[in-house]
Amino acid sequence: MRRARHAGRTFAWQMLICICFLAIWQWGYALHDRLPWLVPDLLDPYFISRPSDIFEHFLILSCLKSKLGVFNGWFNGEFARCMARSENNLWIATAVTLKNTFFGFVTGVSSGFAAGLVLGRSDKLSAIFQPFITAVNSIPRIALAPIIVLAFGIGDTSKVVTSWIVVVFLVFFNTFEGARSIDEGFINAARLLGASEWQITRTVVIPSTMAWVFASLTPAISFALIGVIVGEFIGAERGIGRLIIESEARAEASGMMVAVVVLMLVGVALSALIWRLQAYLLRWQQHNLAE
Amino acid sequence: MSVQALHAPEVDAPPDARRIDVRGLCKTFQLAGTAIEAVRDVSFNVRRGEFVALLGPSGSGKSTVLNMIATLLKPTSGQILIDGVPVIHGRATPNVGYVFQRDTLFPWRTVADNIGYGLELAGVPVAERKDRVNACLKQAGLEGFGNAYPSALSGGMRQRAALMRTLVVEPQVLLMDEPFGALDTHTKIDMHDVLLRIWEREQQTVLFVTHDLGEALTLADRIILFSARPGRIKESFEVDFARPRNAVKIRETPRYAELFQLIWHSLGEEFIKGRKP
Ligand SMILES: Nc1ncnc2c1ncn2[C@@H]1O[C@H](COP(=O)(O)OP(=O)(O)OP(=O)(O)O)[C@@H](O)[C@H]1O
Ligand SMILES: [Mg+2]
Repeated sequence: MRRARHAGRTFAWQMLICICFLAIWQWGYALHDRLPWLVPDLLDPYFISRPSDIFEHFLILSCLKSKLGVFNGWFNGEFARCMARSENNLWIATAVTLKNTFFGFVTGVSSGFAAGLVLGRSDKLSAIFQPFITAVNSIPRIALAPIIVLAFGIGDTSKVVTSWIVVVFLVFFNTFEGARSIDEGFINAARLLGASEWQITRTVVIPSTMAWVFASLTPAISFALIGVIVGEFIGAERGIGRLIIESEARAEASGMMVAVVVLMLVGVALSALIWRLQAYLLRWQQHNLAE
Repeated sequence: MSVQALHAPEVDAPPDARRIDVRGLCKTFQLAGTAIEAVRDVSFNVRRGEFVALLGPSGSGKSTVLNMIATLLKPTSGQILIDGVPVIHGRATPNVGYVFQRDTLFPWRTVADNIGYGLELAGVPVAERKDRVNACLKQAGLEGFGNAYPSALSGGMRQRAALMRTLVVEPQVLLMDEPFGALDTHTKIDMHDVLLRIWEREQQTVLFVTHDLGEALTLADRIILFSARPGRIKESFEVDFARPRNAVKIRETPRYAELFQLIWHSLGEEFIKGRKP
C-alpha cells in the first residue's frame, strides 16, 4: 500500500519534470525579447529546435507527411513512393543503425567474453598478453574510427568494426576480472564431484563470471551505438548518424533532434532488453531481495 | 574395561581391509620465501566401513592431510593409497566424496540443482535425478526448499544441502573437513544424528576432521589425535560406544565423560603448544 502510493508520487514528479522541460523548450524562447537576462541565447530554436518542429520533422523524415506538410495517405501509395524515393528515410536509417549496432554488440560481447575467459583462467597467457592489452587499451578506440572507415569502406562493415572495437575491450576486462576472482572452493567442489575441465568451465566458471559480464553489458550497448554513429559521421550512405550529418549540412536543427530522440529511444529499449535478460539469468542474486 | 586399555597402538589393519592408507606423509608450504612445515611424517590407515576422526588444535595440519588425500594438495613426500591405488594430484578419485570446511554450495543453483549436480555431471537422466534428489531433500529435512536458492537457507540447512550434494552420488569414502564447524551446538548435534543415521545405513568409510572433541567422540570409531604444528600423530584412541548411537543421549553417559576427560588432557597440551609461536 505505502509502496504503491510512494511509486505513484514518484511518477507524478517525473511527469511534472517532463512537462516543464518540454514547455520551456517549446515556449521559453518567446520570452527572450522581454526577459533577455533570464532566457539564454542557446534556447533559440535555430540551435535546438522545439518539440513541435521536431515532431513535424519526424513525420516528414518518416514519410508520414510530405515536405509540403500534407499527410501522406496510406492507401494512395504516397507513403510507399516516399519510402522508395528517399534512400535514407527515418525507417531505413534506424534499421541500418540498429542492425550494425546489433552485430557490433554481438561480435564484441562474444569475442570479449571468450578472450576474457581464456586469459582469466590461464596465468601463463595473461602474463604474456598483459602489456599488449594495457597498450591497446590506452588508445581511445574511437580515434581509430577514421582508419577503420578508410580500411573497410563506407558500407556497413566499417560501422560494425568500429562498434566491435569499442565493445570488445569493455566486455573483455570485465570477464577477465570475473574469471580471476572465481572462488577456488567452487572449482574444487566441482572437480571432486567428478567434473571435467569443460564441465567446470560450463557449470562453474561461466555462471560465476556472469554477474561481472552483465555489469559491462549496459555500457556495452551504449558503446556499440556510439561506435556505429561515429562511423556513420565519418562516412556512410545510410543510418541515423548520416541523417544527423545531412541535417547539419542544411542547418536543420529539428532534423538532428529527430535523430537524437530516436537514438535515445533505441538506447532505452536496448538497455531495457539487457535488464530483462539479466533479471532472468541472475535471478539467484535477486532472490533474497524479493519476498 | 579400563581407560588405559583404550590407548590403541597404531595397529595396522590387514592390507586388503585398508580403504585409506597413508604412509610417511609430509607437507611443507613455501610462503614468501619461508618454509612452513605443516605435516610431518603422518602414517595411518582407515579400514573399510570405519569412521575415523582426525582431532587436533587449529593449525595442526588436519585440513592439509585431508586435502592431500582428496587430491587437492600435492604431498611434499609420502604416499596415499585408496583401495590400494595411489591417488593422483588434481584428479578426483572415483567413489571419494568431500565435504568442505567452508560453504561451497553454488549460489546460482537452486538447492535441488546443487544436490543433483554430481548426477548431472555423470549424465544421469532427468527423471532418475529428480527422484534421487527428492529422496535426499527428504532425508536432510529440506522438503519444500528444493526450489530455493542457498542464500535463502540457514547455516544448518545449507550444510545439510552440502552434505547431500556429496552423498547423492553414493561415495564409499567420505572425507569431511569440519563440516559442522560453523554451526551452533544444538544444530551441530542435530547434524550428528543426521550423519549417524546415514552412516549406519550406508557404512561408508569416513575420515572426519574436527577440533571438537565432543563431536569426535559422538561420531567416530577411532580418534587420531594430532599434535600442534608441525602436525604429527600424537595418540590414537578407540571409541567403543555401542551403535546405533544417539547424539544427545551418548553425551549423558559416564563413559563419555570418562573418555572426554582422558583425551581432553592430551588435546589441551597441544592447544597450549599451538598457541606459542
Ligand atoms: N596454502 C598454504 N600456504 C601456506 N601455508 C599454509 C597453507 N595452507 C595451510 N598452511 C599452513 O599449514 C598449517 C596447517 O594448516 P591446516 O589448514 O591444515 O590446519 P588445520 O589443522 O586444518 O586448522 P583448522 O582447525 O584451523 O582448520 C597452518 O599453520 C597454515 O598456516
Ligand atoms: Mg582446517
